[in-house]
Formats: sequence, C-alpha cells, structure tokens
Amino acid sequence: MTMGASKPVRVVVLGGGTAGWMSAAGVAKLLPSTASVTLVESEDIGIVGVGEATLPHIRGYVERLGIDEAAFMKATHATYKLGIDFRDFGRIGESYIHPFGSFGEEVAGVGFHHWWLEQRRRGMAGDLGDYSLAVAAARANRFTPPAQDMSLASTYGYAYQFDATLFGPFMREFGVAIGVTRIEGLVTSVERDAESGNVTALILKDGQRVEGDLFIDCSGFRSILLGQELEEDWQDWTHWLPCDRAAAMPCTHETTDIRPYTVATAMPAGWRWQIPLQHRMGNGYVFSSAFCDEDHACETIRNAAEGEPLGDPRVLRFRPGRRTRSWSHNVVGVGLSSGFLEPLESTSIYLAQMAITYLIELFPDNGIVDPRDRDEFNRLVDMEYDRVRDFLILHYNATTRDDSEFWNHVRTMKLPDSLEDKMELWRRAGRIEKYSDGLFYDASWIAVYIGQGIMPERHDARASLGDPARIGAALDGLKRAIANEVSGMPGHLDYLKGNISRLAEAA
Amino acid sequence: MSEAREPLRRIVVAGSGQIGALAAIALKRALPGCEVIVIGTQQSPGAFADNANTALPFTNKLHDRLGISEAQIVGQAGGSHRLVTRYFGWSGQGSHGAASYGAPSDPGLQTAFTRDWGGGSKNATTTRPIQTMAEALADAGRFAIPPDDRETPLSQIDYALRWNVPAYRQILIGTAQRLGIVHVDGAIGAIRLDGEGNLAGLTIPGQGEIEADMFVDCGGPAAPLLSQMPGFGRKDWSAYLPVRRVHYAQPGDAMLALEDRVTLLSEGWLSEHAGRDGLQSTLACPDAVDNIAVARALGSPPAISVDLAPARCREAWIGNVVALGDATAQFEPLAGLPLDLAHRQLALLIETLPGRHIEPLERAEFNRRAALMMDGVRDALALHYAAPHAAKIFRAEATDHVVRTVDQFTRRGRMPFQEEAPFLTFETMGLLGAMGFAPGTPPQFSEMDPRQIEATRRTAATKAQAALEFAPPYPQWMASTLESMKAQTG
Repeated sequence: MTMGASKPVRVVVLGGGTAGWMSAAGVAKLLPSTASVTLVESEDIGIVGVGEATLPHIRGYVERLGIDEAAFMKATHATYKLGIDFRDFGRIGESYIHPFGSFGEEVAGVGFHHWWLEQRRRGMAGDLGDYSLAVAAARANRFTPPAQDMSLASTYGYAYQFDATLFGPFMREFGVAIGVTRIEGLVTSVERDAESGNVTALILKDGQRVEGDLFIDCSGFRSILLGQELEEDWQDWTHWLPCDRAAAMPCTHETTDIRPYTVATAMPAGWRWQIPLQHRMGNGYVFSSAFCDEDHACETIRNAAEGEPLGDPRVLRFRPGRRTRSWSHNVVGVGLSSGFLEPLESTSIYLAQMAITYLIELFPDNGIVDPRDRDEFNRLVDMEYDRVRDFLILHYNATTRDDSEFWNHVRTMKLPDSLEDKMELWRRAGRIEKYSDGLFYDASWIAVYIGQGIMPERHDARASLGDPARIGAALDGLKRAIANEVSGMPGHLDYLKGNISRLAEAA
Repeated sequence: MSEAREPLRRIVVAGSGQIGALAAIALKRALPGCEVIVIGTQQSPGAFADNANTALPFTNKLHDRLGISEAQIVGQAGGSHRLVTRYFGWSGQGSHGAASYGAPSDPGLQTAFTRDWGGGSKNATTTRPIQTMAEALADAGRFAIPPDDRETPLSQIDYALRWNVPAYRQILIGTAQRLGIVHVDGAIGAIRLDGEGNLAGLTIPGQGEIEADMFVDCGGPAAPLLSQMPGFGRKDWSAYLPVRRVHYAQPGDAMLALEDRVTLLSEGWLSEHAGRDGLQSTLACPDAVDNIAVARALGSPPAISVDLAPARCREAWIGNVVALGDATAQFEPLAGLPLDLAHRQLALLIETLPGRHIEPLERAEFNRRAALMMDGVRDALALHYAAPHAAKIFRAEATDHVVRTVDQFTRRGRMPFQEEAPFLTFETMGLLGAMGFAPGTPPQFSEMDPRQIEATRRTAATKAQAALEFAPPYPQWMASTLESMKAQTG
C-alpha cells in the first residue's frame, strides 16, 4: 500500500536553524511521497545553532537518512565524542567523566557499583572510571569505533562534537537536494481556519502566501506559531535550572591532540564548555542572568578560554522549560519553540530528533490530525523532557560547593518530588529508579552521583559476603583488560587522520 | 564511605507450593548465610500461579540463574516445550491466529513482519505472508533444545516450558533441601506486629512462634500475611477482566505438542495445554454460565471449579512482608501469565534485595515496579477481551493502555512502549495479530522499497528452512533425550 495515489500532505517548516532543517530533511527523506516539504527561513534572522556536542542517538538519525558518516563529519568538522568530563561540579578540584558506556558488569545479580563501593570501603578499588572502557579511552585521548560483539570492546558508544553552525547548512543542502522547497522570507501574519483553529497559511513580508496542512514550528524561542499564535502554555523551569544565557567564543586550538570528549567546567554562576572540533575549540559560558551579568560573563570566558579567540563572545539567551503541549491543532513544535533544556548533557539535538521521530511515526494521514496521535505525541514528549530535566538538575544539586550565590541556590533549592525520591533512594540504599524508555539509564545516574560525591550510605549486603580477594582480583583483572584494550587503540587525532575522508581541509 | 548493609538473617516464606519453594531457593542462593524457613500451607485450587503447569520464557532464564536444570524438568517432571499458542475464534467464527515468543534479531525482518503480520481476521484458508520461525517449527512438529555452546539455526527460538506440577515441585524441594532450607509443616496462625509496622513473628499452631527479618507471602490468593498488614488494600479489576469462574477438566491423555490452544466459545474461553502427563483443559467463564453448558464446552463435567474475583493488591510489600504471585494479584490462568508474574516479581525481589533494615524508598520502588508488572498483566489479559469476537462474548471494559495500543496498532502500525510488561513489544504485536487486529501501515513503511521487503521475506524463509532442516521431529528428539537420560542414571 502506498500513499502515492493521494495528494501529498503539505508540510511547512517555519525556521531554518538546526531543528528546522533536521525536521525538513527527516520528513522529506522518510516520507517522500506522503509529504511535500516547504521550509520558510529568513537570512535576517540568526540561528542559535545549539548543540555543538551530541549524544550517540544522532548516529541513528544520520544513518536513517542515508547520510554517509564520513561526508557528514567532514562537512561539520566533526570529531568523536566518548562522553563529558565534568570538572569542579561536586567540589572544586574534582572531576569525572560521564561516558557513553557502562562500568563493569553485574555479578551474581548485584550491580557492579555495589561491588565497587564495597571494595572502595576496603581501600581496594580505584576510581569508578577505571572500570569503564569509554572513560579510560577518553582519558588517554584515544578512539576507535566499538566492536559489535559482546566483548569488552563493545561496552561503549560514541557521538560527535561538531560545528553546529555548519550542521544546519549541511542539512539544508541535503534537504534541498531531496526536494525540500526553500522559501526566503519573514512571516508577518498567520492565517487560521475560523472553525477548527488550524493554521492554514503563513503570510510573508513580500506578500507570499505559504499554504500547508501541517506546520512544524522551528522558529526558536520566538515560537511564532505554537507560542505567539496558538498561545500554548509555557512551563518555566528557571527555578530548577537557573542558567538562561550563554556567552559563546570559539577559539583556535592545538591540533597536536584532540580530546575525544567534551569538557564542562563548573563556574561561579554556571559552567563553561570546551568542545574540540577539527579546526577549533568551541568555548562558552552558560550562566544564570540572576547571578551574573552579560558583560561579566563575556569577560570571564575571555579570560578562561584557551587558544586564540576567533571573535568576540556572542551572547545567547534562552529560557529553560517547555510547552505544556508541543503539538497543538496542526502545529508541531520541534526544537526551542517547544522547549529548552540547557546544553549541560548535550540533549538539544536529541530532543529535536526525538520529536521528529515521533512525528514521523504519528504523521497525520492525508494531513488530517487525529487527536489521539497528537495526545500520544505530547505524552511521549513530556516523558522525555521530564526525565532529562531531573537528570540535569542532579548535576547542580549534587554538590558541596558554597563559593557563590549561584551554587548556594542550586545546592539548597526545592527539587521536583520525582528527583527528590530518586536521590533519597540512592542515598539510603545505593539503588537507581529503573526505567527502560527515554534517556539516561542506570550507568549515567551512577556516574553523576558518584562523580559528584553523592555516595550512598549503604550498599547491597551481598557485596560484603563474597571473598574480598576474589572480588579484588576480578576488579583488577577488568582494569588490566581495559588498559590493554586502550593501549591497542589509536590516538583520536591519528584515527581521524587515518580516515582522511572525514577531515575537512585545514581552515 | 558507603557501608554494606547488614544482611537479612532469617527469612520466612509462607507457602510451600512451587512459588514458595522457588522463592526460598532464590533467597538462599542470594544470601547463603541467611536462614530460610518455608512454612507449608495448603494451596487452594484458586492459586492459579502456584498450580500452573507452565509460564513464559522468562522462567527459563530464572531457572538458569537458580540452578534449576531444564534437563531435570524434562527428565523427571514431564517437561515439554511450547513454541506457540494458537488462538481460535477470537476475531470471529473460524478465525485462527498464533502467538510466539521472542523477536527476530534482524531489525529488517521485524519491520517487514510489522508490515505483514496479523492482517485482520485470518481464517484457515488464508496464510500469513511472514511466519515466525517458531510457528514454522510448530506446524512441522520439529524442535530440539539447541546446544548452548555453538550457534545453530534454532538458537534464536524462545520457548516456554510445561511440566507436571507435583513432580516439578519435588525437584524444587530436593534442591531446597540440599541448600539447607528448613521446612516447617504447619498452618499460619496469629501474627504479631512490632511498633513500627513490621511483622515481628507468626504463630504456627502447636509449634510456637517464628520470628524473622523478612516474610515472603507465597500463600495464595488469600495473602495470609500481607492481608493482615496495616494499610493492605486491593484494586478491583472486575470491570476489565470478565472471567468469574474457572473450570478444570480431569486431565486427558498424554500429548506431546509444540503448541497450546485457546479457543473462544460462547461460554468463555477453553485452553488446552498439551502435556506428557495429560492434556489439561480449562474453561474460563463469565457470570451465569450453567453447569450443563460448562460440561458441554469442557467435554466432561469439571473436576474442579474455582470462583474468581479479579483484583490486585495496592502494595505488594508492606513493612517487612513481601507478597509474590497469587498473593498479589488474582486473575485467570491465561497465556502462562500467572506464574510468569510470580517469577518476575521474585526476580525483582532478588534484584532489589533489602538489608535487615528495610528502607521505605526501596519498598516504594519495588512497589512501583511490581504494580507496573501487575497492571501490565491486566493489560495483556484485557487485550484478549478486546478482540472483536471476544468483546461480544465478554463485554469487558478496555483499559486505557489497551485502548491506546489497539488504536495505535490498527491505525498507525505502532506499539506504545510499556514498562515492566509481560510480553516484548514484538510478542504483543503477534498477540494483536492473533486477536484479529490488522496493523495499520506505519507512515515510513508505506515508502519502503518493495525489493527490500521481498529480500527480507526471502531471508526469513531461508532461516525458517534452515531451522526446519536442523530440527528433528519433536517426539523423536524427546524419546532419544529421555533414553539417553535413562542410560546415564541407570
């Protein structure tokens, strides 16, 4: 059964940023005869270009669209990413890597971290990261793609660090090549059906009228359709995630070695990122305007950045939170128009990708939105946002820092009940609330808890019942196997150089 | 610095049926230094899980972990294998569908399968474009347990085990005895609570009081311990689950088959479980089916009849009392679900095993997941009653999840994910197909290249052919297996 016989659904994407072109290309590629896609963008409006760092899920998107990984990496100056190195979060001077990978293995039905906690108590275990191949490889600046079997070499994943301002244009080129119609123009008004309230057309400044059956609002924080036109509620999460600004300032970087991971360093009023790309270092300070003014933030990032600045700091403003409904009438918000969670765990592109995936699964037959599909979409998006939100808040609250007003606030703020219970369960019994859908499972929570010094008071009784020498030998054996595996991996830069098709010409 | 928790020192398991015995084994294996005492209490016939002669593939994994050998079940407890459950009449007179276990490892095959599977009310004359490998084997009557040391065409097959309940229980008791588990024969008398809402001790009439750190209630639907705990409550499921009476026939002749059958009749559903110890026929009826109709549908007057009031407990773990299986939820014995629920709850208890001092939040987390498990079972059952013809006979209300699942499957060909569900997403799709629901075409599949689909179909056919060639006729395999076991022990 093909839908080629019926008229294609007219999809209009508003906004030509990352979310806009990801949406347009995704729909056009995966539903070529079901949908016709038009994207309206204006050169007068800048793009935020969120997400220089990504999660492993992006690989699924790239693959599904049939994009060649090497071409994609070359075009976006991408490097490989094995995780994020969080510095000074739990306490100044401490750091840990949240890897795309696991720590050890469950033994006799008891999670690895319980055994590790017990050996730690006995003074016989190294850092938790010593038992993760992804962490060890990252620390050694090495990279090779994971194995596909069940071996130790398969216990990690990878994502990319790329130039977000190049990703949008790459997707644009891809989208236009597969038939997305691009219209240059500014929206001046929106036409709606009087009866249903559905959006029927966008009226552009030059008088053009762009009709559609389904509208994807990728207009960023302005949220022209979902927010301004349909006035969908916005849930503000600033009280939990107070960072609402970023001062970005790319710099040159030493290309004798490239870190296969992102660095996030806690700062007095937020944190700063260092994201190594092929030819430059992404740098920026994510901060809370309630605790730090913009000038001061720009000054801070100027002083902190390594390498030569490639320009003045650029300030981005955002609002943490989300629309209560991301899909309303015939308008689906993707990206910032539907919600924003700050970039601490590189979730922005994932959240856009997630929305696109669900939209394609629930794509309206013949362009007529079924309320059941809309409700299902909103239910799924809510779940994803809430889970990511709790995980992000944890990074701020799990701290002993009392060196600034900002850290005093986040350390002592009232948490969402859902997170409060998760943390208390961890503290009392060393257990993780389990779910199998959404982002961030056990290993991620454990990495952050332990990395930021939230040690449980108690761990599983069974971990103390085994023979300490045998458990010690098993831990040492794992550590050695990991060291051995890492020693066989090429350096990250060497790997990139060995795969020359992935490298852009020197800038 | 984190300290290991003080381990439980004594656990009392109330109920010495197959669930109590397996729970005791699992607890003892987890905590070899802990004293585990099983108190034998008579199981009522209404303990559907404790009397179940089959479960789902999860049980095989649990057995593996606990050192209960499948070979022993086959050799000593009449063990046999189910690859598919065939459903007759659920979507209308003469309709037929089959549900199997596991999911194809090839994602392309899953996709093609989604496209083609189910396809409305199948009757005997139409064939499904893509068959699961398990179905192909069941049709041909061929199967063997693949060796676990190398990959074979049968390695991907998931199956459920059936057994003779008393003989299986004897295997468990033997294992329990070897592990040093103590059995106290006696009834449960009065209980004594401490000031903190925990069960301090329970009296066995004539034998005094037993104290313990934790009590595990495997005492059947009456939940002899849990129901006495402060705050105990039930959630009524009767709107969703229409069966009110379950009739068991006298076991029939021995039957070796790779499939079981569930037929929808005007009186209710009739399940027929093959078994080397005899065919077990069970009829489940809504209210107001008279004895004559029951005997006619069952083929003989029932040997045992049991009333059922479907419900689950609000919390399976209160204070230091954890209930498993029948003591947590009461529902009809369909699709291997009662014992599967008990076994998954047991695995959850072992995963989240507390120390001597139980933390309220770990109890809450267990209860959250156990409730998801129970509601998942309720939804899996309710899905059966949503089948077109079953809806007419049973007139049950569909749960929210079933409404959403049927809607999303039939219109969009998509399956909403459910945490802690008894069936894999792919298995539920198979079940929906067997119930006569035709999948909608997912938007992205309508665009798939037909050549790709054809290639996937060919791959599936090749794999099924390889499995058929590899597998001996099941009766022949069973006979030679039993023969070689006899030779070893004799």
